[in-house]
Amino acid sequence: MRTYVLRRVLQTIPLLLGISLITFLLLQLAPGDFLNQMAENPGISAETIEAMRVRFGLDKPWYVQYWIYLRNVILHFDFGQSFSRHQPVFDVLYEGFTNTLILAVAAAVVTWGLAVPLGMVAAVKQHSWIDRLLSLIAFVWLSIPEILSGLLLLMLAARTGWFPVGGMRSLDYDELDSISQVFDIAHHLVLPALVVGLIPLASRMRQMRGSLLDVLRLDYVTTARAKGLSERTVIIKHALRNALNPMITLFGYTLGALVSGSFIAEIIFSWPGLGRLTLDAILTQDQYLVMGAVLMASLVLIVGNLIADLLLAIADPRITYD
Amino acid sequence: MDIIRRLRPRSLVILALCAITIASAGCRRRAADTVEYSDPHPLPAEPLIRQLPAVGRYGGRFVLGQTANPKTFNGMMATETSSSDVTTLTDAALVRFENASQQFTPELATSWEVAADGITWTFHLRKGAAFSDGHPITAEDVLFSFQVAYDDTLHPSAQDSLKAGGEKFRVSAPDAHTVVINTLKPNSALLDALCQGGLPIIPKHILEKPYKDGNFASAYNVGTPPDQLVTGGAWRVGQYVPGEKTVLARNPHYYGFDQNNRRLPYLNEVVFLIVPDQDAADLKFRSGELDGLDNVKPENYRWYEDNQRDGNFTLHDLGPGLNSNFIWFNLNRDQRTGAPSVDPLKYAWFNNRTFRHAVSMAIDRDAMIPSIFFGNGEKSWSLASRGNREWYVPDLLNRDYNLGEARKLLAGLGWKDSNGDGVIEDKRGNAIAFSIKTNADNTLRVAMANFIKDDLAKVGIRVTLAPVDFNTLITNIRSDFQYDSILLGLQSGVPPTPGNGQNVWRSSGETHFWFPRQRKPATPEEGRIDQLMDVILTSQDRAVQKEAFKEIQTIMNEQGWFIWLPILKVKLPVSNRFGNVQPSIMAHRLLWNAERIFVKPVER
Repeated sequence: MRTYVLRRVLQTIPLLLGISLITFLLLQLAPGDFLNQMAENPGISAETIEAMRVRFGLDKPWYVQYWIYLRNVILHFDFGQSFSRHQPVFDVLYEGFTNTLILAVAAAVVTWGLAVPLGMVAAVKQHSWIDRLLSLIAFVWLSIPEILSGLLLLMLAARTGWFPVGGMRSLDYDELDSISQVFDIAHHLVLPALVVGLIPLASRMRQMRGSLLDVLRLDYVTTARAKGLSERTVIIKHALRNALNPMITLFGYTLGALVSGSFIAEIIFSWPGLGRLTLDAILTQDQYLVMGAVLMASLVLIVGNLIADLLLAIADPRITYD
Repeated sequence: MDIIRRLRPRSLVILALCAITIASAGCRRRAADTVEYSDPHPLPAEPLIRQLPAVGRYGGRFVLGQTANPKTFNGMMATETSSSDVTTLTDAALVRFENASQQFTPELATSWEVAADGITWTFHLRKGAAFSDGHPITAEDVLFSFQVAYDDTLHPSAQDSLKAGGEKFRVSAPDAHTVVINTLKPNSALLDALCQGGLPIIPKHILEKPYKDGNFASAYNVGTPPDQLVTGGAWRVGQYVPGEKTVLARNPHYYGFDQNNRRLPYLNEVVFLIVPDQDAADLKFRSGELDGLDNVKPENYRWYEDNQRDGNFTLHDLGPGLNSNFIWFNLNRDQRTGAPSVDPLKYAWFNNRTFRHAVSMAIDRDAMIPSIFFGNGEKSWSLASRGNREWYVPDLLNRDYNLGEARKLLAGLGWKDSNGDGVIEDKRGNAIAFSIKTNADNTLRVAMANFIKDDLAKVGIRVTLAPVDFNTLITNIRSDFQYDSILLGLQSGVPPTPGNGQNVWRSSGETHFWFPRQRKPATPEEGRIDQLMDVILTSQDRAVQKEAFKEIQTIMNEQGWFIWLPILKVKLPVSNRFGNVQPSIMAHRLLWNAERIFVKPVER
């Protein structure tokens, strides 16, 4: 197991190198650079822009820029500075990362907290009206674009005052005691978590339903029933444990997509996460900030996949890695 | 990994409490309202006394939405509006440009005068003025600010307007409260460069060290603890939460007072709340979480007009904006060989003044206003719109819609539809067709381009639209010149003087869009404009300057280099809870006078 993990970790190094090179090339291929944003402003002269180009090192050919970047990363673990903020890239990304993670975890709780029990109900009551109703609701939500469901919920919030209209904290957050602070964030979290969490609900629910139905047909479930166990015990104790197996794999893989899954909702709900940050960085071609964001997202994806594989080995004793 | 470990338990607790919180909804506190301020400091030797329309009271806060985070709190290095929105409020400036009256008034300088030679300016600094840490603001700080602005490595954008013909002004300080600026040549735009948004006066005792260490660009970055951000304006940065908000608190040492000798600002806080999505900002205003909006879509004006009373807000009509809209044709030529950047065939059309006039006269602007601007548009024939009080010329020569005349002009060129396909051809039989590029993310510009396409079809000109990414557009304009025509707009600087637009007017200018960076004027008319620009910048006589500016605009419109399009009228909603609110059409529309705004007592 340990050698397997080590091997996987080592594999990420060429992978990240490749990703960084491709990202850098794409950024270079895109027309213009960070300083183009200033070009529309008649108050800024060509000399000013040229001086900034030299200061940022953008006057050098791309391979020299990439080489300097790589050397700084490897020798000094320095991922460069954001052009727009004059701050190290990781300081900028860190602020958004934690907030995105809070939203992502909340959304995952919504998805899985609903998908597993509802999928079970749908499987046990297969073809009943409740099975169909659940599918209908889940698929309707799946087919509403995030941007629309987000704005609709915001309108609801503005109309009723039940929820804050976006944001992550109230203005008076700092004057609250710590319990109220947690409440305050949770209050702001409800709507965006619903928007992000309900989208994959339909597919997860169907997967849970299918997986449980497969297991319910197996011989050992018939045996359990024949032994005279209650239906409840049969499903929860015997069937569910095996039915959850594919779900665990799936859960592991969704971990990887966690950080990038909520960008649109973040923008609509003014959630201070990575979404807006990354979008801004790409639009303004804030080169090293984009590089940092892409590398971080890749890393999370790689780690998520690794965790998925490990979870599977833990959950299913038949699977081992050597 | 450390992050995740730290986070997990907290977020789980948050989630567990989710359901319960719904019950606690609706109880919103306005703590900042209740804090009454008492000024601990005595009056400075020379306070800046303002005669305000209404005397206010202390306390409260004003919350405004902002689409993006400030990128820096270093006013010298700020290059985009999300940062300068904040730094113009926090930084001290020698003079103040009053958005409402569009005139210069004293700020850090109590007065100034120009010597008879026209180049020696003397500024008298306010005695007793201090930065937010109590350290006095003296001529030392002004000299240091000039030194940083003139640094060739940093090259702050303030530097550009503090030069005469590429040469830096000579600045000296005979004593602690006097600064003498020698502009080398007469310079009428000096005050533009010294008002808020121009040269910020920065604290030498704080910033000299990072400057000497070569770290000035990253000094006062958004990660700097707010108590280390010493500033000289009415406000200081109180708190910054990335992606959420920037809170400005009062500078307790600010030298501005109301007529009752009470120190400004009145408000405890000004909050810039980050709301990236404009629709979300709209909803936030409607639910009372924002106190004003400084940008509203014209299709929403109606709703705000109708709901003013119920919502306890006022929709302020600010008149025509200062953002111009126009099209130009690609007249770039290689400066050595003289070969045009576009197909020589097209260059022959574009370079023809009559063709440009015909295009202008084929565009039905009056029909464009109700359909694209929702009725909130106005025709404008210059960069200086009616909103520009000082420089607007009402009776400017223009080529407005006249379909018959447009057809006649084209026929006069010998261009007619000889093969009956609805598109006219030039004398050699080439169909008159060109493309209009604009940036795809600007819906108003794309809509105008679509409209123009239909209008030009009526005179037999075939237009194709090419909405592109903004960066591509800038590359096309600046370096590769790969376009036929472009629809774009320009925003006036503050103050909106002709000097602020000289990069557009001058043939050598970077934003002289149709043919930028000319080594020498390509046409006699462009040469004349360059001369007139010199007149405006060197003359101290406003009448002479205005006459010159009128001539520039007349030449522009005679030549038809820009085909002018209507501009948007601006209307902004602001909550009725505040006094001394004076929204203006200039940049920083709502908060330019933030230090004078106060929360009105609640009437019962």
